[in-house]
Amino acid sequence: MKKLLLICLCFFLLSWKPPINLSKLSKAKKALELVSGAAHKISEEEEYYIGRAVAANILSQYPLWKNSEATRYLNLIGKVLALKSARPEIFAGYHFSLLDSDEANAFSAPGGIIFLTRGIVDMTENEDELAAILAHEIQHVAAKDPLKAIKSQRMKALGTFAAGEAIGSSSQVLNIFQDSIMDISGTLLQKGYSRKQEKNADLGAIELLKATGYDTRALLAMLQKVKAVEKKKAKAFSAHPSASKRIAYVEKQLDPGSIKGSSSRLARFKRFVSRHRN
Amino acid sequence: MKQKLALLLFLATGALLLAGKVLVVKVMRSNLLAKPDFLSGSLTPIQQGAKLELIETQGNWYLVRNATGLKGYIHQTAVAESKTSLSGIIPGKKGASQEELALAAKGFNEGNEKKLRGSKGYNFSDVDWVMDWDITNAALAAFIREGKLK
Repeated sequence: MKKLLLICLCFFLLSWKPPINLSKLSKAKKALELVSGAAHKISEEEEYYIGRAVAANILSQYPLWKNSEATRYLNLIGKVLALKSARPEIFAGYHFSLLDSDEANAFSAPGGIIFLTRGIVDMTENEDELAAILAHEIQHVAAKDPLKAIKSQRMKALGTFAAGEAIGSSSQVLNIFQDSIMDISGTLLQKGYSRKQEKNADLGAIELLKATGYDTRALLAMLQKVKAVEKKKAKAFSAHPSASKRIAYVEKQLDPGSIKGSSSRLARFKRFVSRHRN
Repeated sequence: MKQKLALLLFLATGALLLAGKVLVVKVMRSNLLAKPDFLSGSLTPIQQGAKLELIETQGNWYLVRNATGLKGYIHQTAVAESKTSLSGIIPGKKGASQEELALAAKGFNEGNEKKLRGSKGYNFSDVDWVMDWDITNAALAAFIREGKLK
């Protein structure tokens, strides 16, 4: 009994924090950041504005396919998956759209703005395969992979501005903003993520598919299709590592007894396809 | 009996330590939910910057109380721990978290987006079309049921 009381007392004492002057602490932290040039930490709200600008940049290069019913269907699948992700709540929620392009590709901008080209949608044969692509992109957003494409020097510069309260030099901040957008767009549209980031997104996608009740083998099916396309078209999935490598590690992670797609899912996918392909 | 009393004392100490922690909503908008489940009913919508008193943690969910005394659940990814005192939850009183939120938004913000609008290489009007899409929880729940999803 005494021992337990002693544990309670220790727990209380260890957890108790003396009252501190937050304004003094905040000023000291800013001064320290100014001296050390600590990198700026991107807030959820900033991620949202960076994401909007990256999306605006993508939409200046790819036309948006403004089909309301197809977009709604894509958003329903995407939001079901996002709720089971590591970041179900992001600043303005996840948004999914279609790009009117024959190129087979998918992009995720910061803040959860995810694009699929009509070319990649054409490759899908059921809702589960569509979900597999979306799950992969959601994983990139959840891991903040698009933000990691921003060069560290930009965040250091912004950190120094913020710490020194010299944020008034708006043209410099605007330049950092634009350069950061170009860093991300360059990674999304040309350079691609690292192999490690892609592998994590694939493995995370399997978990998301499993958690939502979609067939995890749909990811493998999509990768096999990508592999076939890669041989024909060099631009397909140009920003991703080769499908053969991805197939190898994805296969190892799949349960042999995966769920089969349901008839109701197939029926609504067919309705989507009839709008999409006409 | 003594052990039960000690356990109760231990739990009470833990509850006392949790009480008084203030959370601040960091997403644009969310909901105070009836259960720790996104598809459970919304008790009330909540906006960015709203302060919530932490009552209890349940996995990735927090049971919280808002400024009007309403108790409900919110996912941990929607909130950040505030450095403000419990008194900051009282409407009208500004806490440190609002200042922090303002500071956090100084880097990449709406002002910079406005400067880019209309520039070559940025199509913000189509971004607005993308962002206008909103799916209700009722529609999502029906979609999950129909597709035999979880």
